[in-house]
Amino acid sequence: MPHADVVVIGAGLSGLVAAARLAETGATVTLVAKGHASTHWGAGGLDVAAPVGAGTPAEGVARLAAEDHPYSFLGPDVAPSVAWLLERLEASGLPYAGTLDTPIRRVPTAIGGTRRVAIVPAAQAAALRPWDRDELLVVAGPAGFKDFWPAAIADSLGRESVWQGADRPSHVTGVSVELAGIADRNNLNAMHLARRFDDPAQRADDIGRFAAAVRKAAGGRPGRVAVPAVFGLGEHAEAWEELRARLPLEPFEIPLVPPSIPGMRLWHVLRERIRAAGGRVQIGEAVHRIHVEGGRVIAVEMEAAARTHLIRTEALIMATGGLAGGGLVATGDGHIVEPLLNLHVDAPEHDAWLVADALDPSGHPIEAAGIATDAGLRPLAHDGRTVALANVLVAGALLAGQRSLRERCGDGIAVASGWRAANELATDAARTPIGREPLAVRTDQ
Amino acid sequence: MTIADIVREAAEERPVSASSDECLKCNVCNTVCPVLRVTDLFAGPKYEGPQAQRYRMAGLQQIQGPDSVNPKSPDHSVDYCSGCGWCTTVCPAGVKIAEMNSQARGRLREGRRPKLRDWGLAQTDLVGTMGVLFSPFANFAFHNRVVRAAFELALGVHRKAPFPQFSKRTFQSTWKRRQARRPDGGTTKTRPGPDKAVVYFHGCSANYYEPHVAEAAIWVLKRNGFETIVPEQVCCGLPLISNGLYDDARERACKNGSVFAEYARAGYRIVGTSTSCTHTLKAEYEEMLDMRDADTTAVSHATWDICEFLLDLHEEGRLDTNFGRLDEDLPYHAPCQLRSHGIGLPALDLFALVPGLRAKDMDHDCCGIAGTYGMKKEKYPIAMKVGAPLFEKVKASGATVAACDSETCRWQIETATGVRTRHPIEILAEAYRAADKAGGGTAAD
Repeated sequence: MPHADVVVIGAGLSGLVAAARLAETGATVTLVAKGHASTHWGAGGLDVAAPVGAGTPAEGVARLAAEDHPYSFLGPDVAPSVAWLLERLEASGLPYAGTLDTPIRRVPTAIGGTRRVAIVPAAQAAALRPWDRDELLVVAGPAGFKDFWPAAIADSLGRESVWQGADRPSHVTGVSVELAGIADRNNLNAMHLARRFDDPAQRADDIGRFAAAVRKAAGGRPGRVAVPAVFGLGEHAEAWEELRARLPLEPFEIPLVPPSIPGMRLWHVLRERIRAAGGRVQIGEAVHRIHVEGGRVIAVEMEAAARTHLIRTEALIMATGGLAGGGLVATGDGHIVEPLLNLHVDAPEHDAWLVADALDPSGHPIEAAGIATDAGLRPLAHDGRTVALANVLVAGALLAGQRSLRERCGDGIAVASGWRAANELATDAARTPIGREPLAVRTDQ
Repeated sequence: MTIADIVREAAEERPVSASSDECLKCNVCNTVCPVLRVTDLFAGPKYEGPQAQRYRMAGLQQIQGPDSVNPKSPDHSVDYCSGCGWCTTVCPAGVKIAEMNSQARGRLREGRRPKLRDWGLAQTDLVGTMGVLFSPFANFAFHNRVVRAAFELALGVHRKAPFPQFSKRTFQSTWKRRQARRPDGGTTKTRPGPDKAVVYFHGCSANYYEPHVAEAAIWVLKRNGFETIVPEQVCCGLPLISNGLYDDARERACKNGSVFAEYARAGYRIVGTSTSCTHTLKAEYEEMLDMRDADTTAVSHATWDICEFLLDLHEEGRLDTNFGRLDEDLPYHAPCQLRSHGIGLPALDLFALVPGLRAKDMDHDCCGIAGTYGMKKEKYPIAMKVGAPLFEKVKASGATVAACDSETCRWQIETATGVRTRHPIEILAEAYRAADKAGGGTAAD
């Protein structure tokens, strides 16, 4: 049967980072997933940590590390793992802006709100710079595109309350750009537009229309332009360069509802890196069963037509996601289970899952449900001390103790844990961990 | 019973149509649809599939009355689905989108006389039988520009659509003649056991157009210690399924089931060289045609794609790996149907055993042909656009031969690029012959 030194389950950011890092170290790695994941849904930036009150991601990490949180043991890996990832992305032609010490700032969203970010794709970077007093914001999007309404976005961003005290443009105006052959489309999504901008001839015409519309709206005033994040997928770098060169004001992309073009750019780069280093990425293959022998995973059995097939492995990285991603499942009778290995899930009792106010600023206890691990990311048994399976590591949203919606830490945990899991397994010795003692178990379990 | 079993059982109880309940409307399917990538005529898997499903349900319940709205179903465009299955592959929620669309097409055709063109393209065994019978005339007609233009006008089969040469003789008749020539006249009742023989499903392509593929398979199997049993068989039914002719497809499935199930129950493995036929035997009888009888299940479990089978032999240490050197670049296209098998890319694993052979995955979603889809007048331009990046890559490779597991893809690639495109089994046979030449070894026959 096929063999891989390491099998990674899950094609979200943590699984991709783990597989890319492992493939780089020379290990044979196979990533399997039942379908696409967070890359296709997310905004494409790296939310490392932005809990309320934190001025930079580094401050956020330090604050969360002091709590019962994955950063309490992943903290030291955040900076090197993020630096590693940003370096790889840049080398693959997808540069990012921002570091852990970049101030967290409010940037516009596609519904005219704001969100707090620090590390974003370069195409979103211009939104991070503080606004001068006299600066204009032109919101420009293709007419007839239902996922981005320039007039509505501009109207909302013109209100002081949306910026929650942050500096903001002095004036916001929306402009719809008529692109050739778009108006009569009744089914226009971000993918259609991204592919238009991948086509050099179409791109030249479309960008010309954007430039004319923005020039007219700006009327010579200083400022910036917000555009929907659709400027190219395969040829994003070229499309973005052309847009910057031809617009009278500096542009930035606003990520949209799924499908996320910035996230797909990230997916393509990481998949290509894994494959180029000899790794395999197999999407559409759901895990049927994981074979365990003597406290170790020995093989992963995949669903297939008519029969299952096995991949033998020395180690397994569980990057299957949390409740939203399907890595955890809430049963009808009030339990949270991990369906593949039946790992012990750290979760509150059923009646304590939620608090009364849906939008309670401190969140709901259920958000923190997940798998508790030792510092080496190995899952712990019910007692909170014993390692449940010697050669299984947990990464990403499946880790217990994160409240990523509130703390905006999901991407940072994904990158740091994927990177650490890969490093833990990078050597043959590490993949045969029989007899290893648990690493610094958290005492608060 | 593990928790995974419980989760799986719940999913199995849901028929294809009910899987639309799982749809999150995330649009991931729309990002991978090759048809949506190139045309507006298809609204995309999300709209045609889970989104349209509610209208179909409403239609089924016959909502009527003066004030009720009977929503117009979008089924007029579902026929533009090529059935490649990418949407189902990447769906993170497990929605059977491609299957849903195919069933919708089947329902549209229920009780209606099909277009003569669609009916004719789907009758691959009838066309094949007649074509072989009158092969000099048929080959002239199917490759004559004037006749093809007339075909296009009268029937709607595109004049440039790839069409292979009919063989002078069917593989079946060649095989029978050869058996009759054996000393025992092919009448012996003692056939080799299941560990010494496999049952061969040649399908229509090897029978009527490419008997050399069947011969290569039989030769390679023999070299690895397997006799071949070739029972009487009919078309697997896939062309009928993809043209919405479900009743005819069921009839073919029953015929094949009654013949092959006997072998399956005796422990024989059914091996096929057409990856779309083998996928039909494995999965589509049950999934698309709702057949769950004992014969269908037995055949499904016993069916193997030839490369899957050889790789399995290799993993058991039973494959003759004495391949000779083939010093060449070999662009390889993985057909959509192969991906639906969920078995990875076994041809590439086998090519890796051949010294000197530089096989390269072209990594393109779909060649466009999708069985009979790209042959139709109105769909030919779509098919060519879908496959265009693949054709460019194959041409740019500078190779003189390419490889692909599926016959219609081979014909499409060969017609579009001029690069001879062969079944992987032919490449492997050539590698064995190279070994014989180099080492003076004996050929299997």
